[in-house]
Amino acid sequence: MVIARMSDVVKRYGTHLVLDNVSMEMGEGEIVGLLGPNGAGKTTLLYALTGLIGVDSGEIELFGRPLEDNPLETKGRIGFVTQEVSVFHDLTARENLEFFGGIYGLRGASLKQRVQQALETVGLTEYANRLPSRFSGGMSRRLNIACALVHEPELIIMDEPTVGVDPQSRRHILETVRELNRQGTTVLYTTHYMEEVQAIASRVIILDQGHIIAEGTISDLVEQIRHEERIRLEVTDVTEPLLQNLRSLEGVKGVTVEGRVVHITTQVGSGNLDRVLAAASKAGGVLWINAERPTLEDVFLTLTGKQLRDGGEE
Amino acid sequence: MTIFRFVLKRFLRNPANILLVTLLPIAVVFMPPSGWFPLPMGFQYFGMVLMFIAARMGTIVMEDRIKGTLLRIGLAPVKHSQYLWQTLAAFALILVGVSGIVVALGTAVHGNRLVAPGTLFLVFSCFSIASLGFSLAWFSLFRNREGAVATITGVIPLMMMLGGIMWPVQAMPSLFQRLAMLVPTYWLTKGLLSAADGARLLGLGLPLGLMLLYSAAFVLLGSMRRLI
Repeated sequence: MVIARMSDVVKRYGTHLVLDNVSMEMGEGEIVGLLGPNGAGKTTLLYALTGLIGVDSGEIELFGRPLEDNPLETKGRIGFVTQEVSVFHDLTARENLEFFGGIYGLRGASLKQRVQQALETVGLTEYANRLPSRFSGGMSRRLNIACALVHEPELIIMDEPTVGVDPQSRRHILETVRELNRQGTTVLYTTHYMEEVQAIASRVIILDQGHIIAEGTISDLVEQIRHEERIRLEVTDVTEPLLQNLRSLEGVKGVTVEGRVVHITTQVGSGNLDRVLAAASKAGGVLWINAERPTLEDVFLTLTGKQLRDGGEE
Repeated sequence: MTIFRFVLKRFLRNPANILLVTLLPIAVVFMPPSGWFPLPMGFQYFGMVLMFIAARMGTIVMEDRIKGTLLRIGLAPVKHSQYLWQTLAAFALILVGVSGIVVALGTAVHGNRLVAPGTLFLVFSCFSIASLGFSLAWFSLFRNREGAVATITGVIPLMMMLGGIMWPVQAMPSLFQRLAMLVPTYWLTKGLLSAADGARLLGLGLPLGLMLLYSAAFVLLGSMRRLI
């Protein structure tokens, strides 16, 4: 069953085109990773999908019905984890969950039970009666997630839920997402951390400048640039003649330098590993060399020409 | 009524808010009689206290907007109008409650010098709602909390002066007298003077009606602020 569908959605802010004929689908039980550089339109896409902002043209369907058919009923089936921690700092963790459960229509014993379950899911049971202002960044993020899942949504949309959290909390959050998915919840997950998408997503959508430029499983996307490999070379001294030598090798598509490390993009099967090693040995001391098959990060870089994490917020 | 209940809980949990809604109004009751105003001085200035309490309430709504909790409520199956009326109803309940306590205490302290306490309560109740509306509209105009608080702190006394609370409107230049009619504090003064004059409900129709009209206009303006 298709949980969410966007067809030719266009959204402008003034004259700025933020979503340019975006079409996508999400099936029931999927974890879809939404990737894009800063300003790609990811958050706008999420807001449009939930009906928080209107679109200029195109159609949006959720749970098999047009969004405008019954927006309130539809909103009740979605949980949204906001990019900022948006909880009440003058209410305890439990009270925050009671509030958000309450506005989603939960009452009495079922509200109590769901609050308890949400606290357990994010590992905050023993801090339930504390104010979020006394929480660490990771705990606040976990409460932020709990507020979005207290009403047991069928679709959870997560807008960069792990920004600024410690590794332990990040692991906990990712495990929570996997567990929710195992229980049947569909997840749309936006992040700046490629490794998170690789760890949890069953499918990836890459958005750039308001367009969906690639979509598929991670292996599908990596397959698209399978003809390339990356050679990473660390030398004692990076000299201009060495770089010129490397650039002149047949099949080399690009050479970049990062300190004493030289990254060489070359065609698969060109046999360039040996040639690179020979050239580097001639120029001076080789400290380390390896060849890697492309990763999702390379796919992203190839398709958008940008690093995913280049600072700032969207 | 989840929103209504939690608005009350959050406001009354903060010790600074409790002091604001108890100490200032109680102090008002014990102020000495006024020189030119036909009511004890505290009742002349109680409107200003109501405006400051309403301003504090406005900061809470603004903080919720800045911190994104309003956005989160916007993503829930709750209409913006539902959020608004439940929030305003909770704050109005506090302000009207404070007005009732002040008028009741005033009657006990000042006896017959506090004429028509029931009518005064009505006037203060209507002004409470107008103050709330004004506060909501004011804070919706700003992105920065500090700027909004600093300016409203200056604007409230100015509105009081222009509205004829601190001195008779007739003592001001004619241009100011005309401008005064545009601020809700003018209609508060009118209402208080009419009540002190022994006017019945019918005689208060214009000031009460205009204060409620201001409330509606301010709430409409304040509710137009986008969540994102």
